[in-house]
Amino acid sequence: MANLIPNVLQMKAEFVQAIWETLYMTFAAAIVAAILGLLLGVALVVTQAGGILEDRLLYSLFDKVTNLLRSIPFIILLAVISPLTLFLVGTTVGTTASLVPLVIGIFPFYARQVQNALLDVDQGVIEAAQAMGSSPTEIIFRVYLREGLPDIIRVSTLTIISLIGLTTMAGAIGAGGLGDVAISIGYARFENDVTFAAMIIILIFVFTFQLIGDRLAKVFEH
Amino acid sequence: MTGKNMIALQDISVQFKQRNESIQAVQHVDLTIAKGDIYGIIGYSGAGKSTLVRVINLLQKPSSGKVIFGTQDLGQLDAAGLRKARRKIGMIFQHFNLMKSRTVLGNVEYPLLGLKITKEARQQKALKLLELVGLKEYAAAYPKQLSGGQKQRVAIARALANDPEVLISDEATSALDPKTTKSILALLRQVNQKLGITIVLITHEMQVISSICHNVAVMDAGKIIERGPVTKIFARPQQKLTADFVETATNVKEALTRILKQNSVSERKLLIYLKFIGNTAQESIISSISRDFNLDINILFANIDQIDGVNIGYLIADFIGARSVILTVTEKLKAAGIAVKILDNAEGQVQL
Ligand SMILES: Nc1ncnc2c1ncn2[C@@H]1O[C@H](COP(=O)(O)OP(=O)(O)OP(=O)(O)O)[C@@H](O)[C@H]1O
Ligand SMILES: [Mg+2]
Repeated sequence: MANLIPNVLQMKAEFVQAIWETLYMTFAAAIVAAILGLLLGVALVVTQAGGILEDRLLYSLFDKVTNLLRSIPFIILLAVISPLTLFLVGTTVGTTASLVPLVIGIFPFYARQVQNALLDVDQGVIEAAQAMGSSPTEIIFRVYLREGLPDIIRVSTLTIISLIGLTTMAGAIGAGGLGDVAISIGYARFENDVTFAAMIIILIFVFTFQLIGDRLAKVFEH
Repeated sequence: MTGKNMIALQDISVQFKQRNESIQAVQHVDLTIAKGDIYGIIGYSGAGKSTLVRVINLLQKPSSGKVIFGTQDLGQLDAAGLRKARRKIGMIFQHFNLMKSRTVLGNVEYPLLGLKITKEARQQKALKLLELVGLKEYAAAYPKQLSGGQKQRVAIARALANDPEVLISDEATSALDPKTTKSILALLRQVNQKLGITIVLITHEMQVISSICHNVAVMDAGKIIERGPVTKIFARPQQKLTADFVETATNVKEALTRILKQNSVSERKLLIYLKFIGNTAQESIISSISRDFNLDINILFANIDQIDGVNIGYLIADFIGARSVILTVTEKLKAAGIAVKILDNAEGQVQL
């Protein structure tokens, strides 16, 4: 063991901390991004042509903002967003500071995924609900989000996995995490076993989320 | 029928704008439906039937015209008022439109979710409706586990949950086999008779109209081209399209095609189509005429239907004899209230 991963064994504390940082970044950003993404995703669906609150102007606004934010490469977003980060968090470096770019980086992606998931809800069911006198709010909560739940769970899994990917870049603004360990220690000091170990841990996270997501989606699928 | 109007559509037009084109889906339609009626709307695909009935609950806003439901002008209502009115207009669809995330019971409970009643009361009501449609034991099942006919029964139960005054059925039996269609139509008739619910039923099959409707409107290219009591429409269709629907439903068309294939042309022979309405004894008229005028009548097709409680008989026969005699006979038949059409196959052009 000591021969295979000599450096990793000496860095247990760093690894434990990096794991916490990665999990913290992932979950904290996921919670905020989930709220924003769901709001924007639902807004896109209901305002688009033929939607229950059709509004061309609002739709084109939401649509353009989503596309714009999705076009900015994350590594650039990290730097560009710093004034906003400073305003919200009070600093532009560190793990908590990285949450701002992470949320901005992931929620438009999630919104699109949610939009697609909700568009798969049978239009006939929406029409039936309207015919039964349901209000737009009732249709959103009792029909769209409920009928679309298995798909929403699936796209949430996908989004969390993408988010883990983004957290590995957050090391660039001093956020730490497994990505940072892999690059600034493993890569910079030629300690290949460290890089490899970081990768394995990340893969374990990814597979775990995938497994939980698949199971959960099945439960809600009737 | 009490004669009171349940629904009145006044000069309804609907146009859809698509890029630079505009489609006139419904054009200046007036339609009144009496309380307690079962009113059929028939037409080929694209005629505008769905668009027209979706105007009734304003799922489709008309480009012009008024919708009166009972005594309310629906166009004057605000959003909340319209939603309240919609609860009194149940609707069922070709593809059932049940929620797959809810159980059968959950689907029937759905329309009651917004009401201020206890969960028990809600479930009780939903169960009662499931009993009415014969699916009480499926309460805990999910729609996916049901057959098409069962799904439509659940949809009917759901549509009845708010005690509607009107039930709109948009091709509700079009995805079902003939036997299931029959049972669903029987259920609709029961809903009409037992609960006094007015039914508006869209279809492209005249059999559906003849089996449960009292009145019918025929739609073509956004307009109602003919309307009236079903018996009258079956007996004396005025428009070509209507006749088309009627003769298809009664198998006359099919029979005629078969007959024309085999029939030989002759000077002394005329192919004649007779339609008997009411309880005219067709047998005795035919035999007495044949005797009195010394005509040979060779019956090629005969059928009898009961439509809205009235018998309608169809008969295609070769009348063999002198042409003048045959024509006298046809006049006599017409005088007796029988619809007569000479299907002159000598010209190779036969139209019903
Ligand atoms: N939302 C829409 N946008 C544009 N055109 C439409 C829309 N809905 C219907 N149409 C058009 O209006 C016409 C009438 O359609 P409608 O669905 O009312 O016909 P239908 O008689 O119900 O036909 P079917 O038997 O196929 O259901 C068709 O030409 C259709 O293409
Ligand atoms: Mg239709």
